[in-house]
Amino acid sequence: MRTVLAIDTSTAQTSVALIQDGEVLFNKSHNDPLAHGEVLPKLVAQALAVNKQIDLIAVGMGPGPFTGLRVGIAFAQSYALAAQIDWVGVCSLDAMAAGINQIEFIVSTDARRKERFWARYKDGVRITQPAVSKASELEKFGPPILNEGDYFPDPVAVAKIALTSKSVEQPIYIRKPDAYPLPTGVKFRPMTALDLVSAIAIEKEVYGKTAWSADQFKEEFAKAPKSAQYLAAEIEGQLIAYAGIFYVADVADIHTLTVVADQRRKGIGRELLKRLIDWARVKKAQAIMLEMRLGNDAARPLYESFGFIEISKRENYYGPGLTAVVMRKELR
Amino acid sequence: MALVLGIETSCDETAVGIVDGRKLLANVISSSVEQHARFGGVVPEVASRAHLEAMQQVIKQALKDASVSIKDIDAIAVTAGPGLIGALLVGVSSASGLALALDKPLYGVNHLSAHIAVDQLDNDKKIIPTIALLVSGGHSSILKVKNLATDVIVMGATIDDAAGEAFDKIARIMGLGFPGGPIIDKQSKDGDLNHVNFPRGLTSAADLDKHQYNFSFSGLKTAVARYIEKTPNYKKADIAASFQEAVVDVLLSKSLAACKESGIDNLVIAGGVAANSRLRELAKQRCEMSKINLSIPPIALCTDNGAMVAALGSLAITQGVKPSQMGIGADSAASIAQVIW
Repeated sequence: MRTVLAIDTSTAQTSVALIQDGEVLFNKSHNDPLAHGEVLPKLVAQALAVNKQIDLIAVGMGPGPFTGLRVGIAFAQSYALAAQIDWVGVCSLDAMAAGINQIEFIVSTDARRKERFWARYKDGVRITQPAVSKASELEKFGPPILNEGDYFPDPVAVAKIALTSKSVEQPIYIRKPDAYPLPTGVKFRPMTALDLVSAIAIEKEVYGKTAWSADQFKEEFAKAPKSAQYLAAEIEGQLIAYAGIFYVADVADIHTLTVVADQRRKGIGRELLKRLIDWARVKKAQAIMLEMRLGNDAARPLYESFGFIEISKRENYYGPGLTAVVMRKELR
Repeated sequence: MALVLGIETSCDETAVGIVDGRKLLANVISSSVEQHARFGGVVPEVASRAHLEAMQQVIKQALKDASVSIKDIDAIAVTAGPGLIGALLVGVSSASGLALALDKPLYGVNHLSAHIAVDQLDNDKKIIPTIALLVSGGHSSILKVKNLATDVIVMGATIDDAAGEAFDKIARIMGLGFPGGPIIDKQSKDGDLNHVNFPRGLTSAADLDKHQYNFSFSGLKTAVARYIEKTPNYKKADIAASFQEAVVDVLLSKSLAACKESGIDNLVIAGGVAANSRLRELAKQRCEMSKINLSIPPIALCTDNGAMVAALGSLAITQGVKPSQMGIGADSAASIAQVIW
């Protein structure tokens, strides 16, 4: 008898199956994109209650959102180490495609940032490497696209593929950890009163009449670290960008995100925004809001790529005739 | 005695320690700190990938160092928070996998309490109840510990920078490099600590009213920066020593005041900044004067490590604390009040 414990955490779903000589003893999934860490050990404990003796661990190696993906892999590898058995990694998209009876198709899962992880299949065989692309580009390829939601990686297929294929040893991340490599030498750190002289000069250059004063900055800094965070980016000691967020009563508010003109479009604003969002998550904010000047088109795609959506407009917000666009991103 | 394996992945160190009761058997650390250097700070995704890559090897090495088989382990302990969520989850998921495969209890433990618990390894000190000064790059707190596994209260904490951060920033302003703690410690040895009397944050009568046991290092930082601006030919050693003295002085004054007010004559100093030689020296002097029993873990156990997690797990077992349920997950913003999950 050979019993395989199969795990996949590469999509919103956490899936566990137990297969003994082809017979499915346990097969359960739970859908929650933020709870792989909580759900997986519970499901495995239930599976072990059915059958304790495991001979092989099979695990989906992605592609998939990184934090959830690593939950399954870390668990599987450590389980194998403690049980002194082997583990086998499987491409999760293959386990999703296994249940589809079509000649040619693409399977695609949520890669966040309005992108999809995908691979193309023909006659039951994967004919492309797993990749990440914008959803709109996928449609240009032609074959029908079968999406996460209608289909998920099937843990029973994970087990079957593991028994017949070569192990995928490394997580299939595809994206680099820092998708937008920063110019070398950029340092990020908290912003302090020591940055004020440089910041005031940048304010005047970027915002003119609506520039913040030193007192406004000091007022903002006074709220940190409990209800505000201000970050600065510098190159060789020279301030080039800064950003700040304020948090009160469930919703965090981005108060500024400013990059000097000659350092834009290099990923510095993106990195600052990412850190502000991380901070808001740690503070358990439900949502993040920001105001942006209408016509400030350069920043809009950046915000949208992080899931900010326009919810309203405020006229004369920045002065007569200057309209603010209010954007919001839900965190849960 | 119970054999406990502890896993720590809250920041950039992948660490596994093994203890037998209060005896330290293994303490293995793999750090991704160099990978973060070009970003000027820890990048969560880089740290999380490094944890997954290193985890199996670090566990195996710890078992080898301890000369035990994984089957001999009686319980698994793991840092469940606070820390970086993606990084914590690698540790918690690994620990859950080990515990389920071995059919042994799992203890999710608090990173901060673990820094204090490590002081109980390889000795039979009775340090409880105690005041604990927890100082690192991420934390600066004064805690009242009645029971390390069940009853820890925050008396005060920093309202701006952590002490370790202040060291990093001053080192940066003085052009000394990163990380600032050890560099300033070294520079100070040749300096005059009374050269400049830098301000001690939140020690005025008005501040003490509201912030008796809280710290603030931002005013000190500004004072040092102003001094440097005005004094182009300043001597680095003197300024480093004077700055360090201001930090150490206020950390100890408030800790000893906490001892006095609580009627507790034990003080534990833990966390990465506890490796600072001036802090250790002055703490010894002042505690002798005030008849306080001082305890500081060995320098190697002050920074993040797995032994401290195993030590706290072991303590929980000794005290009959119930193991954690499967599926605890990780809590990046866990409060000190939650010691065991």
